[in-house]
Amino acid sequence: MSKHLLKFTVNGKDHALVVNSHDRLIDVLRNELGLKGTKEGCSTGDCGICAVLMDGKLVNSCLIFAIQARNRKITTIEGIGTAEEPHPIQRAFMKWNASQCGYCIPAMILAAKDLLDKNPNPTMEDIKHATSGIICRCTGYLKIFEAINTAAIEMKAESK
Amino acid sequence: MMEKPAAREQKQQLQFVGKSLGRVDSLDKVLGKPIYTTDTVPENALYLKVVKSTVANARIKKIDLSKARNYPGVVIVVSADDIPGINESTALLPDKPLFATDRVRFAGEPIAAVASYDPTIAEEATDLAEIEYEPLPAVFTPIEAMQPGAPLVHENGNVCKNMKVRKGNTEAGFKEADLIVEGTYKTPFQEPVPLEPEAGFVIPEPDGSVTCVGSIQSPFHVQTGIAKILSLKPEQVRVIQAATGGAFGPKSDETPVDVLGMAALVAVKTRKPAALSYTREESMIGHTKRHPFVISLKTGVKKDGTLTAWEARLVSDTGAYASLGPLVLIRACLHATGPYNIPNVKTDAYCVYTNNTMAGSFRGFGGPQVHFAAESQMDEIAKKLGMDPVDLRKKNMLRPGALTATSQLVDEGCGLEECIKRAVKESDWYKKREQFHADNGTKRRGLGIAIMYHGNSLGPEGNDFATVHMQIERDGKIKLRTALTEYGTGAPSALLQIAADTMHVPFDHFILEPPDTDFCNDSGPTVASRTITIGGRATQMVAGKLGQKLKEVAADMLQLPLSDIESNNGVYHDKSDAHSVTFRDVVAHAYSRGIALKESGTFTAPRCEYDPETSQGSFYLQYTYGAVTAEVEVDTETGRVRVLKMVAAYDVGKAINPLSLEGQIEGGTVQGLGYALMEEMIHKDGIVVNPNLGDYYVPTSLDIPEIKTIIVEYPGALGPFGAKAVGEPPIVLPAAAIVNAIDNAIGVRVNEIPATPERVLSGLRNQRK
Amino acid sequence: MHRFDMFVPEDLEDLLKYVDSHQSGVHVIANGTDLINRIQRKQVTPKVLADISGLNELSYVRKEGDKLKIGALTTISELISSPIITKHYDVFREVAAKFGGPSIINMATVGGNICSASSSEDLLPVLLVLNAEVRLRSLRGERTTTVEEFLKGKRATALKHNEILVETIFRELEPASTCSFDKVGMRNSLIIAFVNSAVYLKLAKAGRLVEDIRVAFNRVNGKIPQRARHTEEKLRGMKLSEESVAETVRALKHELKLTSDFRVSEEYRVDVASALFKRMLNRCSEKLVGERGIV
Repeated sequence: MSKHLLKFTVNGKDHALVVNSHDRLIDVLRNELGLKGTKEGCSTGDCGICAVLMDGKLVNSCLIFAIQARNRKITTIEGIGTAEEPHPIQRAFMKWNASQCGYCIPAMILAAKDLLDKNPNPTMEDIKHATSGIICRCTGYLKIFEAINTAAIEMKAESK
Repeated sequence: MMEKPAAREQKQQLQFVGKSLGRVDSLDKVLGKPIYTTDTVPENALYLKVVKSTVANARIKKIDLSKARNYPGVVIVVSADDIPGINESTALLPDKPLFATDRVRFAGEPIAAVASYDPTIAEEATDLAEIEYEPLPAVFTPIEAMQPGAPLVHENGNVCKNMKVRKGNTEAGFKEADLIVEGTYKTPFQEPVPLEPEAGFVIPEPDGSVTCVGSIQSPFHVQTGIAKILSLKPEQVRVIQAATGGAFGPKSDETPVDVLGMAALVAVKTRKPAALSYTREESMIGHTKRHPFVISLKTGVKKDGTLTAWEARLVSDTGAYASLGPLVLIRACLHATGPYNIPNVKTDAYCVYTNNTMAGSFRGFGGPQVHFAAESQMDEIAKKLGMDPVDLRKKNMLRPGALTATSQLVDEGCGLEECIKRAVKESDWYKKREQFHADNGTKRRGLGIAIMYHGNSLGPEGNDFATVHMQIERDGKIKLRTALTEYGTGAPSALLQIAADTMHVPFDHFILEPPDTDFCNDSGPTVASRTITIGGRATQMVAGKLGQKLKEVAADMLQLPLSDIESNNGVYHDKSDAHSVTFRDVVAHAYSRGIALKESGTFTAPRCEYDPETSQGSFYLQYTYGAVTAEVEVDTETGRVRVLKMVAAYDVGKAINPLSLEGQIEGGTVQGLGYALMEEMIHKDGIVVNPNLGDYYVPTSLDIPEIKTIIVEYPGALGPFGAKAVGEPPIVLPAAAIVNAIDNAIGVRVNEIPATPERVLSGLRNQRK
Repeated sequence: MHRFDMFVPEDLEDLLKYVDSHQSGVHVIANGTDLINRIQRKQVTPKVLADISGLNELSYVRKEGDKLKIGALTTISELISSPIITKHYDVFREVAAKFGGPSIINMATVGGNICSASSSEDLLPVLLVLNAEVRLRSLRGERTTTVEEFLKGKRATALKHNEILVETIFRELEPASTCSFDKVGMRNSLIIAFVNSAVYLKLAKAGRLVEDIRVAFNRVNGKIPQRARHTEEKLRGMKLSEESVAETVRALKHELKLTSDFRVSEEYRVDVASALFKRMLNRCSEKLVGERGIV
């Protein structure tokens, strides 16, 4: 078949769409659902900025065909925080001016969420490994590490 | 000449400048808002795919696009024949077409473009374009290209620019020397890798004009280029910069005009919006990269370490088209000695065409190459003299009162000595070097240093000006608009801090408007770290005028003479503080009286005076200085180098936003680390072998060292509050510092970067023989 | 992107029927980590992709008797977080640590690694030194073959068009044995290895006798991971010492028939292979007998 009915959940909302066999998950997120926060940087899985959470796991949306996301729960950056109430990770990134050109930031924030959901007490080593599949060309990573560290501390404090 | 910043800003108490305030663009970026070019392409747009040359140097005998045109779903195919204006897309010299016609000079050069509503169809159709080539002998190294009888890349010869520096008499200088050291150094094509590849779309407007939206650094450069191609007046081409995911140089050269030019042709012919975004591969092949240089140095020095003469021969590979090669050459040529006080200097520099892909603007702009060579050479000299590398540098470094290689007098705005001192202290230089000397296992540590200077802004490269527009809305929001672009630096946000302190109005009142040629005047390219230096001065001017206007309105409201009014933190009051009005009151009053709260202004930097024959004179209005140390661990069995810690000390004049500044320094340092150890765009017979991020390696989060940033402030003559250029300098030194550290660790001098594991191991192998 | 059809099987039987009835042009895909790149570069132009990613029954890590069995769809991250993959099997964690970050290990599958059959698949040297086998199912039955025999050449396996790789099996590591893995590339993450290496060592504490040794590299004599059997022979039955290892390294350098490419030269690959081999031996012997730096 060259077209499929794709049923999946994105940021808590159910969708049913017709997709082509060759459509990648990133194509459907950006073009069909209008969720532009997920970025394409290389198309070969080497930069990681297309990362989204699929059933709670960080994956590269440029390496998954859309139909392979059937029945899965996807979280993109649009599902994290709002302008009125940014997520603590987003607040931390702003506090540290950790976003420069911004192109890797959605993926970095999702990687941070992936890490902190599973490990609320990460060491710097944990933070470095959690972000090791995402390229940042502007920041040299250090402020991103600080932001994630701050987010961990604040999220722990908030949960008390 | 120039009024010193201290005098200008003497009485100013700063509330916002010098503070690490949050950037105004952060919220949108952390929320993933659709602000980049490909996020906002209109619904009914056509998508382009480019037909590119597959050979490096050839005559084109035939271009047959009929099969592509007839492919179902293809709406139009455009080529040079469809250009109403001039077939040109270039940054400096008129040597490069938008579409190749009878000749291609590099593999990947655009020949035509296919447009369809379905990008997959457009891509499939590009395979159907039939191009008949007659391959020509090609040349792939500049040294070869300079030989008589070498294949000609362009008719007028392969050397597109040469330049020299002549200070004193090097022959005499060598006679005075106790030791002469020679060395040859090579640097690669470094690919900028902005995370967002080039992208743009064009909307044809009913009145015959076009609106271009793109990922660009220089809106007016794009406007001029598109107008030429479409045979329109510049005012008929509106260019809007969308949020841009990184730039670093190439997006101020040809590719934005390439991309928007091709899209514009389709848009104008079909009357439909047209969009083109490059894949990573197209971006890496098509846009400009750092010039490879071959640098030969001959240096004379006395026993006590005093440099007596310095000769440099620089040859750069600019690829098939010049791009900004001539300007990169100028900067490299002028800085080829490193930041040292040398009485006799002779530099000859050549920018050479080859059939490789293009080299042009990339952060550092010649600085990284010449400092790699100069600082490696200094360490070699130190070794041969048995002198500590720090001592040798201190002996010769530029200080106030010294003369540069161009005989420019160094003024008091020179913090090089403090940078060195603090870097040496923070890196624990003497203790660690001694400690590392005792390493005897398979892992050996080393500590190296490098120092630099960087002439600020455009200097001799062109007219250096910036225009800022400011307007206060009825609701009290103060809008600042300039054609200087944000692409990650944070500099435009910092302009708001300058405006806030100039007007004495809180920072949160200010809004940055996007660059749009319909609503602002030219400010030149956003390059050379000019935004804060030149843009900041324009901001001070305009904010000053606007602030003055507010004071006048306040004086009118309070019925007091203007000279009695003081402003502070959004309040206007008399000297006794008995009567006051708020900023909001003043704005409301102005609106009710029909007083326009709007100002614009252009700051133009004074031109420099120099002798173009000998390159003697003042080339730059101020210099940024820096010292960087690198601590490395070399695995002597695999050649892998781990950088453990770096100290980066920069004299930045005045840090407008210290946190953003640190971010720039850290980012540039890591790009420099990549240049030192792993980044190399490899051509084989003109074909790029690694045009993807799997085979072209940029540093990941696991590759970075501890980086300690030290901010030193010796105000410069040019920038606001003495601020100096900081965008580029951080990428200049890491390669030299790391290579010097490797030499300290294992006694191997890597003369060609990147110092890949293979090159390091090869050096060790040769050592053992 | 090249166009193709996608077949989405309801279960394994459905998939087996499908591949049985189609001669060629069908590529089975778990996720695109390898295949998407190859399609985009036009190295492969499939007519149909069969999406195996939904067949959860192929995702498991089990211990049955003295065998460990890993379903083909088990991802690297699922593998290393399985309680069955104890510290004794830390070699898999060594692979994961240098694999390329969380998203890559969340996507890469054990079966996918094997079927990609290339020298950039890090799991392969480990599976080779574990003497791992693969179970292949078709409509007509099933068969088991060693990973070594399964890998025929660069991107060529013994998989018949109507077969699906469903499981990887290896015998559990005895207490006196261990495995280790390392790789050297240009940087510390997202690495395409210049050289990678896996070593299996069974060491008697008394006399440091090498009871068994198996070593594999991403390339030995060709473009796919292989065992360096002559090298193994040299060290098997010997006492682990500087002399015996030095002699074995000489044999290794002889056995390696590597090539140069735009990344690195043959000479460098051989030097690094030798260095990694010694390091693996040290690491393994340290794990087993607690002594450091024997060689």
